[in-house]
Amino acid sequence: MKKLASAVLLLLMSISLVFAGGSAETSQAADGELSGTITFWHSFTQGKRMEAIQAAAEEFMAMHPGVTINIETMAWGDFNTKWNAGLTTGDLPDMSTAQNTGEVAEMLNVGVLHPVDSVIDAIGRDRFSANALGDMTVGGVVYGIPYYSHAQVMWYREDLLAAAGLEVPQTWDEFYDAAVALTKDGVYGAAVSLSPNDLLGTRYLNYYVRSAGGSLLNDDLTANLTSTEAIEGIKFWVKVYENCSPAETINYTVNDHATLYYQGITAFDFNSGFMIDGVRNNRPDLLPEVSCAMLPRMNEDDPLYSAEATHIPLVIWENSEHPEICEAFIEYLYEESNYIDFLSAVPVGMLPAISGISETEAYRSNEIVQQFAEEEAVIAQAVDMGRAIGFEHGPSAQAGLLANQGIIEEMFQDIIMNGTPVEEAAAAAEAELNEIFATMVQ
Amino acid sequence: MRYNFKGKSSIQGSSLTRWFFVGPAMLVVICLLIYPLCSTVFYSFTDKTMIRSSYNFTGFENYQRILTDSGFWSSFVNSLIWTVFGVLGQIIIGFIGALCLNRIKSPVMRNVFRITAIIPWAFPSIATAMVWKWLLNGIYGFVPVSLQNLGLSEGLVQFFSDPDLVLPSLIFINIWYGFPLIMVNVYAALQTIPQDQYEAAQIDGASALQSFIHITVPHIRTVVGLLVVLRTVWIFNNFDLIYMITGGGPAGASSTMPIYIYDTGWTGRMVGRASTASVLLLLFLVILCVLYFKVINHWEKEDVK
Repeated sequence: MKKLASAVLLLLMSISLVFAGGSAETSQAADGELSGTITFWHSFTQGKRMEAIQAAAEEFMAMHPGVTINIETMAWGDFNTKWNAGLTTGDLPDMSTAQNTGEVAEMLNVGVLHPVDSVIDAIGRDRFSANALGDMTVGGVVYGIPYYSHAQVMWYREDLLAAAGLEVPQTWDEFYDAAVALTKDGVYGAAVSLSPNDLLGTRYLNYYVRSAGGSLLNDDLTANLTSTEAIEGIKFWVKVYENCSPAETINYTVNDHATLYYQGITAFDFNSGFMIDGVRNNRPDLLPEVSCAMLPRMNEDDPLYSAEATHIPLVIWENSEHPEICEAFIEYLYEESNYIDFLSAVPVGMLPAISGISETEAYRSNEIVQQFAEEEAVIAQAVDMGRAIGFEHGPSAQAGLLANQGIIEEMFQDIIMNGTPVEEAAAAAEAELNEIFATMVQ
Repeated sequence: MRYNFKGKSSIQGSSLTRWFFVGPAMLVVICLLIYPLCSTVFYSFTDKTMIRSSYNFTGFENYQRILTDSGFWSSFVNSLIWTVFGVLGQIIIGFIGALCLNRIKSPVMRNVFRITAIIPWAFPSIATAMVWKWLLNGIYGFVPVSLQNLGLSEGLVQFFSDPDLVLPSLIFINIWYGFPLIMVNVYAALQTIPQDQYEAAQIDGASALQSFIHITVPHIRTVVGLLVVLRTVWIFNNFDLIYMITGGGPAGASSTMPIYIYDTGWTGRMVGRASTASVLLLLFLVILCVLYFKVINHWEKEDVK
């Protein structure tokens, strides 16, 4: 009996020692040195961006031997699904990127984010765009840090326009006429891609509605697809699809869609500065021919506008046991050399989200940045003027849900494939969105 | 025969030992099958979403909504078409392939043919999807462009964006992908048929068709029956091929039940409703399997007689 009691006591002591050791290992050491393991999810699956992040993480771990950063990458389209599933399973990271500020609003809706004001203050609050921070601020507290920015502009092919004797379109009517004129000889004027697994239909409709001064959300944050602007916008894009777009794109997501422009199959496209990298990788011979302008307007004398600016955020998750490591690592990512290394992975595609970077010699010495300086200025203007889809009413979970449910894309498909009247399809989609808002928003 | 009688404690020990061996397997079944099944049935009666942590018991509301949803029924009909034609196509092509394989005399050529024919099955489905997406692409795909250049079509044939063509195109790809499995299994069954039966039939003056009907078919029908059951369930539940090629579009023209459930549960985040559709799908497949196994059991009893 004594032997048994001794054995049990020894076992208990061993267990307590193990736990004591574990506890010491995973907390911040007494000398202030960081210690612990964090998981970082990001969706930078392209080689150069992934390598830049990996290199920064390895350098950070070398500087802080007690820190381990486990990086998990996932495809852009899978990210939303992954963290949504994680809410149920508990498999959530310590820090991550988010697809856009709309997704941050969704995350805030379920209360899973950690405030990041201290990181923003450490980097310099006044260096960030007030719009970008505002999109991720609730109750005066900021929950996301813009990592890089871009905005939607109209891309065109200078050679095709010149050959057809056309000017760069300023209005939607001019855009449509030019797209029709350029649809010949294996080239399509513009692709209208409408897969419900992506947000392109919502994005395109939002351009048109915003240019007409409307919004896809009402002031009370219900969906608005039946306004005059929205109905006209739906009819406009259906017309573009039918007369200028390859039929195949009805099922295309953003990657398939953008590839058409990269390969010289479409004359116009709407996208950010990522187009430059895409063309460079697919058809470098076309690089001198691509350029961009602000989005078309309803009338030529309307003021310039921006329908969608995106700030890709970094967020820290509330469940993290080591927010201090996440904060320190994020600050490290923003150190000038690290930050420029990352941005140069897709020059002009990823614009700095903080001031004081784009003027530096290191940033401006990039060949693509120099070649596309005018285009960069156009995109930077669109970034300054724009906000995320639906954020004209302030940050809301409804804005995020509006874009990622695929309902507007299904509506377009229904109109085009089944011939459903525009008004009827719009009313049905609006009702469906409102039901989802009522179910999901807490 | 010698029997080894043991005392009561020994029997109990033996019983415990049995549980010890069976336990892990039971645990796996409970964790991986029973628990998910029970939770799916439970959630089908709730309004659980992926985002909200709380949920309410809603009785049969989800069932009522799903059964009155036109999207559910069109996906169900698409699933039936996808499965029936997919299974039929795979069985017919696989069967013909196996008979051809069985007729090849040279062992070397037989192996070459067998390895060549199994290649589609060896492809990961992502590769299959990408290759066929490229071949049938309605803008620059090899097949539509070739058909147009040969003057066989007026414009580029839209295999994936024409609602009348998209499901047949996907079924064709599925047949191409799945027939090697049938071929290899039927070929293995053909190898078990005693040759002397064919020789006896030949002596009795039976034609090739009569030999096929009265000797070949009875010998392999149980194997084919089991393959039909397996392929029916697999094809009915197939998700990756359709999702990667069309995502169920355009306008739901190629949406099947698994795509519908995915869209409801993951894109729409309506876990309760997705669970309801899953339960209905499960019920349908269970009924189908029971019917299939009745037929197979009947064949097996006939074989014993």
